[in-house]
Amino acid sequence: MNNLFEDFNDIEMLAEDLQSTDAGERIMAVIELTDTADPEVIPHLATAIRDQDINVRKQAAIALTDFDGVSTAAALVGALSDEHAEVRQAAAVSLTELKDPDAGDAIIPSLGVDDEFVLVSCLAGIKELRRADAMGPAIEALKHHSASVRCEAVNVIGWLQDKTSLPALRSAAGDNDALVRRAALTALGFNKSDHAEQILVAALTDSDWQVREAAAETLTKSGSAGCVPSLIKLLEDEYWQVRLKAVRTLGKLDARDAATLIGEQMTVPVPNLRKECAAALGVLAVSDTAKFLEPYYDDNDPDVRKNVRWALEKIAHTA
Amino acid sequence: MPLAQSSTSVPVVVNDDLCIADKGCTVCVEVCPLDVLRITDMADGRKTAHMEYDECWYCMPCEADCPTGAVKVNLPYLLK
Amino acid sequence: MDEIKEGIEQIECDVLVIGGGTAGPMAALKAKRKNPKANVILLDKANVKRSGAISMGMDGLNNSVIPGYATPEQYTKEITIANDGICDQAAVYRYAEECYGIIQELDSFGIRFQKDNNGEYDVKKVHHIGTYVLPMPNGDTVKKALYRQLRKSRINIVNRYMATRLLTSGDRVAGAICVNTRSAEFLVVKAKAVIMCLGAAGRLGLPTSGYLYGTYENAANSGEGYAMAYHAGAALANLECYQINPLIKDYNGPACAYVAGPLGGYTTNAGGDRFIECDYWSGQMMQEFYDELQSGNGPVFLKLNHLAEETISEIERILHIVERPTRGHFHEGRGTDYRKQMIEMHISEIGFCSGHSASGVYVDENARTTIKGLYAAGDMANVPHNYMLGAFTNGAIAGEDAIDYAADVDFAAFDEADILAEKTRVLAPTRRDDGVPPNQIEYKTRRLVNDYLQPPKVTAKMELAQQRLAEVRDDMNNAMYVSNAHELMRSLEAASILDCADMAAHASLYRTESRWGLYHNRVDYERNDKDWFCHTLLTKGKNNSPTSRKEAVKPYIVDIADDEKDAYNHQRVTAAE
Ligand SMILES: Cc1cc2nc3c(=O)[nH]c(=O)nc-3n(C[C@H](O)[C@H](O)[C@H](O)COP(=O)(O)OP(=O)(O)OC[C@H]3O[C@@H](n4cnc5c(N)ncnc54)[C@H](O)[C@@H]3O)c2cc1C
Ligand code: SF4
Ligand code: SF4
Repeated sequence: MNNLFEDFNDIEMLAEDLQSTDAGERIMAVIELTDTADPEVIPHLATAIRDQDINVRKQAAIALTDFDGVSTAAALVGALSDEHAEVRQAAAVSLTELKDPDAGDAIIPSLGVDDEFVLVSCLAGIKELRRADAMGPAIEALKHHSASVRCEAVNVIGWLQDKTSLPALRSAAGDNDALVRRAALTALGFNKSDHAEQILVAALTDSDWQVREAAAETLTKSGSAGCVPSLIKLLEDEYWQVRLKAVRTLGKLDARDAATLIGEQMTVPVPNLRKECAAALGVLAVSDTAKFLEPYYDDNDPDVRKNVRWALEKIAHTA
Repeated sequence: MPLAQSSTSVPVVVNDDLCIADKGCTVCVEVCPLDVLRITDMADGRKTAHMEYDECWYCMPCEADCPTGAVKVNLPYLLK
Repeated sequence: MDEIKEGIEQIECDVLVIGGGTAGPMAALKAKRKNPKANVILLDKANVKRSGAISMGMDGLNNSVIPGYATPEQYTKEITIANDGICDQAAVYRYAEECYGIIQELDSFGIRFQKDNNGEYDVKKVHHIGTYVLPMPNGDTVKKALYRQLRKSRINIVNRYMATRLLTSGDRVAGAICVNTRSAEFLVVKAKAVIMCLGAAGRLGLPTSGYLYGTYENAANSGEGYAMAYHAGAALANLECYQINPLIKDYNGPACAYVAGPLGGYTTNAGGDRFIECDYWSGQMMQEFYDELQSGNGPVFLKLNHLAEETISEIERILHIVERPTRGHFHEGRGTDYRKQMIEMHISEIGFCSGHSASGVYVDENARTTIKGLYAAGDMANVPHNYMLGAFTNGAIAGEDAIDYAADVDFAAFDEADILAEKTRVLAPTRRDDGVPPNQIEYKTRRLVNDYLQPPKVTAKMELAQQRLAEVRDDMNNAMYVSNAHELMRSLEAASILDCADMAAHASLYRTESRWGLYHNRVDYERNDKDWFCHTLLTKGKNNSPTSRKEAVKPYIVDIADDEKDAYNHQRVTAAE
């Protein structure tokens, strides 16, 4: 029972196994090096990620998920151009697991490349590192022909929460790809300016329902009383998902004018929507809306019931 | 009470051409929460992993963590 | 491998954490960080790298209390109501206050939670007035990230040792006895404090597929936590409040509520009609589900085929990639496509688990059990509706309290005869030449659980269960036979399962009322708040069999108004919609 506790071999010894002529032995060396969780192994993994055997390279790309910092990032960025998709994929996933902002030093230079996969992966990797110097390249990437690239670029910009990016987000909100438009609208949520609000309000009439939903949802976070009339119009949207977000935002904005229209939505047989309407009616607490809620005092859905009772109490209290 | 053996079809299959148990790999054996995989000697003297006990939660770590993609998890026959 | 070797070794540590799934790693990390000089051991019957309920990841936190979205008061209220009022609020409240800090800590480990496009938490509204669900887009990396932290903190990890009994000294814990699952070698760990994180008792009932390991819970969680606590003399609360979940039939994995619900998916009967409005898992909801299954309208289905294509692909992505990744294979094999067919559902086998009910080893807000120095956290401790974040948070609470406790005490002396007795018990099946293998003992126990103990509960049936289970116990004690160390592990599991079945029967018979919807539906008794608005505590009695007593619910710290109390009653759709 000499190896009761989990223990790992000496790093230098394991690194020697990386020189083995047998690919299987090199894979095992990568696995054991990773298990040490010691940052000293990063250079060895960086070598292994350029091995001649695809499985060794893939294992090294997976292994680097467990490490951080600029040399880890550099090794992963290199592997994004591997000839095998599996290695490229593994490296891309590991890139998004980085936490150390300094790791960005190895990613920023690649934000200027044209290759779609490399660019998407690098943008996804830099996003959570929140590097201010990623802003320029991200805005530049909005011109890329690939919608996936433009999407990731918008995400990077949104995470930076910098108001100088508004013009860029505005043009992304007019992108011809719906996913890019959605991303741009949600990215605007950090900014409570008229400018941002105008962009969001304009999107409430977008042809794609998920874009309308995203705009309505973001207004919950950042909208002002000015967008109420447009949100009221949205209560006629054919998608309940869109109406639900509009109701939530109207409640948040204290849009008492909308109370009756929200009350009328209570008859819709989608409990998700009823729940939201009851909550909004409680927030608004307009006295003659109690009639919309009363029939649902004993609603079968406990959540609806709870919201209805709470709302009725609020209304009674205000009256 | 005396014992009899009865056959059972097992859900996890290992491709022994890809398996590198020969090189000391035991990854799938180690990660299995039910401890049902083992390394065995083949007729040609090489080693491979295989499913020794039909006691599988079809949870997949063995397949996900195998460095050579040798493991395939199917659903146990009784519930598929 | 698997050859029986029979050695014995003894080691010491300050804090022993048993179970390295979810709560355990957090307990070990917190203990070690609070006192880096202390010797902390984390022991698991599987391999910590991929053990426990979250081995392949999770799709989200079900119960995060994030400032701005929900308050500890609100959360405590919800959980009290969901538990029919039988709840000591202090532990729930403490969890609610501390879990946000744990989320941030998990985030710093590299476990990622869904954020909006400004990098802020994106909490989804699922149940109640507050907002508690926080999706995890890369949920499959949870275990990996935890393991990395354990390695970095140089926690001593012992894999493939199964704990079988606790050692005690008077009213204090003294350590644990463990057996290697591949060699049958014994390991005695003397410890100043022990934290039990052995998860749910997932192999109590038999799944409808008949496959012993086709359970809802990770099948490695076979109830040793409950059995060990019981044999050590700790109190276990409300075991009659079983865990029963609505699941995809045969596959037995989670279906709907948290993922598909907010996106518009719901549960229907065979006619495609809704019969319950709320898919949030509760005993009342399970009762309606059961009634529908038994009625001419059954069986029950998960309906997604009315949803927009965009929504369905999103659901598929979440459900098939993390949590139970074989689910995609399952639907492929059956030829079910969410776009076209509804998916048949069923109710799971019964189990013990506080994650979705209110049962477990009785603990206070510091995760302390009724035995000094012994802690419990996660699915096996009775803090209700804890789920994954509760396991992490209460694991952390246990780790920090235990390391302080260990600093102030010396090792407790225990009786060497206890070790000898345990060795004899464990190895008995290896001393016979033939007999009944553990899988048959286990199958029979679990089949009897299904026949007589699963609800609706009937007094006469449960009494029959006790008789028949006693016969199986006799066979187990006198005729069980194993031929190798792997089977020996299964034989020890069979013993835990049988202990749990006995406890389930006893606890269910003791509470002579109905409560918690289907979980404790005793058809021959009505609900009775006057006599039964209390916990039931089960302990090991004088004649080595379970005994139960009542324990008052502690005074509430958050008041519940009368019209809020029925929040989970009458969930059946009545209006023609
Ligand atoms: C399929 C599924 C889906 C779920 N989905 C969600 C979700 O989406 N969101 C959410 O919040 N929660 C979810 N949960 C609940 C959540 O995962 C659990 O509540 C939580 O992980 C429990 O943690 P634990 O530490 O108590 O148990 P576990 O993580 O299961 O750990 C128990 C550990 O004990 C070990 N062990 C068992 N017996 C012994 C023994 N005798 N000796 C030594 N070690 C032993 C096991 O190997 C295991 O490692 C889900 C659960 C399941 C099963
Ligand atoms: S993990 Fe893969 S390569 Fe390693 S022993 Fe198992 S099957 Fe073989
Ligand atoms: S699927 Fe899970 S239980 Fe089955 S062999 Fe693989 S790791 Fe073990």
